[in-house]
Amino acid sequence: MRYIVGYTADGRGHDAVRLAVALARSQDASLDLVLVTPEHSLYAGAYPPARNYDGMLSDQLKEWMEEGLALVPEDVPARGVVVRADSNAEGLITAAGDPDVTLIVIGASSRGLAAPFSVGNVARGLLHAAPVPVALAPKGYSRTDPVTRLTCAVGRRAGAEDVVAVAVSSARRRGLPLRLVSLVPLDAGQSDPDGAEDAANRRLREAASALADQGRVSVETAHGASVEDAIDALEWDEGEILLVGSSRLAQHLRIFLGSTANKILRTLTVPMVVVPRTYSAPGPTSGEGTTAREANA
Amino acid sequence: MSIEETTQTEGGLSRKGLASGKVGLLGAVVIGVSCVAPAYTLTAALGPTVAEVGVQLPAIFLVGFIPMLLVAFGYRELNNSMPDSGTSFTWATRAFGPWVGWMGGWGLIAATIIVLSNLAAVAVDFFYLLISQVLGDPEIADLTLNLPLNIATTLVFIALACYVSYRGMETTKTVQYVLVTFQLIVLAWFAVAAFIHVANGTAFDATRVSAEWFNPFAVGSFSAFAAGVSLSIFIYWGWDVTLTMNEETTNPEKTPGRAGALTVIVIVVIYLTVALATLSYAGVGDGELGTGNPDNQASIFAALAGPVMGPFAILMSMAVLSSSAASLQSTFVSPARTLLAMGHYTALPRGYGRISPQFKSPSVATVAAALAAAGFYVFTRLVSENALWDTITALGLMICFYYGITALACVWYFRAQAFSSVRNLLFKFLAPLLGGVILLVMFFKTAVDSMDPAYGSGSELFGVGMVFILGIGVILLGAVLMLIWARINPAFFRQDVLTKGMAPKQ
Repeated sequence: MRYIVGYTADGRGHDAVRLAVALARSQDASLDLVLVTPEHSLYAGAYPPARNYDGMLSDQLKEWMEEGLALVPEDVPARGVVVRADSNAEGLITAAGDPDVTLIVIGASSRGLAAPFSVGNVARGLLHAAPVPVALAPKGYSRTDPVTRLTCAVGRRAGAEDVVAVAVSSARRRGLPLRLVSLVPLDAGQSDPDGAEDAANRRLREAASALADQGRVSVETAHGASVEDAIDALEWDEGEILLVGSSRLAQHLRIFLGSTANKILRTLTVPMVVVPRTYSAPGPTSGEGTTAREANA
Repeated sequence: MSIEETTQTEGGLSRKGLASGKVGLLGAVVIGVSCVAPAYTLTAALGPTVAEVGVQLPAIFLVGFIPMLLVAFGYRELNNSMPDSGTSFTWATRAFGPWVGWMGGWGLIAATIIVLSNLAAVAVDFFYLLISQVLGDPEIADLTLNLPLNIATTLVFIALACYVSYRGMETTKTVQYVLVTFQLIVLAWFAVAAFIHVANGTAFDATRVSAEWFNPFAVGSFSAFAAGVSLSIFIYWGWDVTLTMNEETTNPEKTPGRAGALTVIVIVVIYLTVALATLSYAGVGDGELGTGNPDNQASIFAALAGPVMGPFAILMSMAVLSSSAASLQSTFVSPARTLLAMGHYTALPRGYGRISPQFKSPSVATVAAALAAAGFYVFTRLVSENALWDTITALGLMICFYYGITALACVWYFRAQAFSSVRNLLFKFLAPLLGGVILLVMFFKTAVDSMDPAYGSGSELFGVGMVFILGIGVILLGAVLMLIWARINPAFFRQDVLTKGMAPKQ
């Protein structure tokens, strides 16, 4: 089991490395710190020709990689990989093409000044095309201790069961408490007279019954005037991770960040993992390969 | 951490991803032609060259290729022996030591900065011309004559190209094929249309083609000849890129040489055809459309495409705009990398050696190149009556300077090998020696002549010709900066980083 870390030699890349360490600990996961470097084409017509820029860049990449690997503690195996690709997102998806890769970890954009999450171009590219879950580290993420609790936020739209299933198996494997948060009242966009809220909560509880037996699952309903308010109102542990499903607009086994997930990102202070649609869900569309990579988020 | 697990390839880093596709003969020719950018080059250089040599334009275009070819042989040898992103800077440092090397690097950077500002200015002219042709409103084309607007638009173009280059976005193979094909078709169209006008008697100033046009000795004076040659160095600038391709080509033994030969045939044919067509159609007089009219000389196609091509002149605007915009973007790469190399070798403050963690491109160096190009353009525009003309002439001067140094660096660096084989004698000694001497003679002659306030477009500052101020002024500025930096951080100048040396005997 390997995690791909979208590494850049700046704050954002360091956030990603720390989050990857936190997620990999006690999971026997190894890390691939991936530096994406552009493929220079002769057709670009650079003149006068300046050869060996790649050599200089290669020295720089090596230095950066050493800096990145130094952030990884002894107990987590890690290696550096350089991928040539036209864009960072494309390079990370290429690197995630190996079947034993189960997660891509990236940092949020460093541009947003106030918000801990600002989805940069890399994240946006990944969140629209990654075949495996993508973990986003908030800006300035410094924790490398193992995760303490999982929270899974779901609405009532199609696909909610998929992400809950991923959350349940992940919580079980990691031996972590799971909190299921219903976004149903927000999802509907208005008050909920016909009791859909209760029904949704019951569904959540049923879905999580495997864990509920052991008393480690809780169900909450998010309330607030907006998604942002509701996320703010919830209590968040320092070592918590939020799991959300990809939008129903996504193609099979691809991610597409929905508008709710986008709003969540604006106020969230803990890392978020976005799970591709129908990822590891049983059914005619998923072959054996998906079972192997089940829910390592 | 388990650094032991790092895959031990390419110095501690494993690499994977797409293998770069090899370039074939056609691809190499396309790259060569795109680096020469014939549509841009002709519009910028044809007028100033006619101003110097008149109807002997075809002769000068042919003669001008000889020093270019001779120097390119030396350039290729150095590139094979010491591939380095510092190119002229690194090679001249290795051959002649840090002081000459620094000035060689400065010459290359200055030449590319000057061409950047000229490319942006030409792109802006044709940008407004294109809009006016699309909207059918001739007044819009004159917006480029509005000084503040012109400067503002040019700065926007420079900033955009800098941003695109910094982000590492490159012109792709398909786009390059389309751009090159389009340029060649439009230039051929222009030439054919001009000859049809001549045949139909509708030409502005029909002039009969004469064998005398091909006689370089018919050029009035050595001054005019030197100026013409230094300008024609500029028109072939970029051609030598084909010779420096090696492992990237399908057949490293044969492809670069063949591509170089084929590229130069394509370029010479198109230059001569367009030159002959322009001279036959418009003559060298200073009438409304004459190539001798200073108003036309800064950008010949802006003046002639309309009368010659009629409604299809819009294609010429598109060809020149696309050609100069693509070159603008790709030309940023070169000064940025040379600055980066100089920063890396401590010949400049370390900051210039910085690489963007996100885009893996030179960061400080790219921005510095853009600021310099913008500053150069604003200065030239404010003090010169005909900025495009003067920058092109100054550019020819600058190319002669750094190419001359590079060629002689080749001769000196390989001096121990020069007489070990016939091949070495030709390519590492005779060709670069002759080419370098020719270029430096042209450089000094043009530099002395350009002190005359009437030189070039006739602009002057304190009674000294504008071209001299731009060309020699920039070189002197470099010398001053070098002396200042040598006091601040003498490491490079003490040869702590790069040492003077020579190629070992074979």
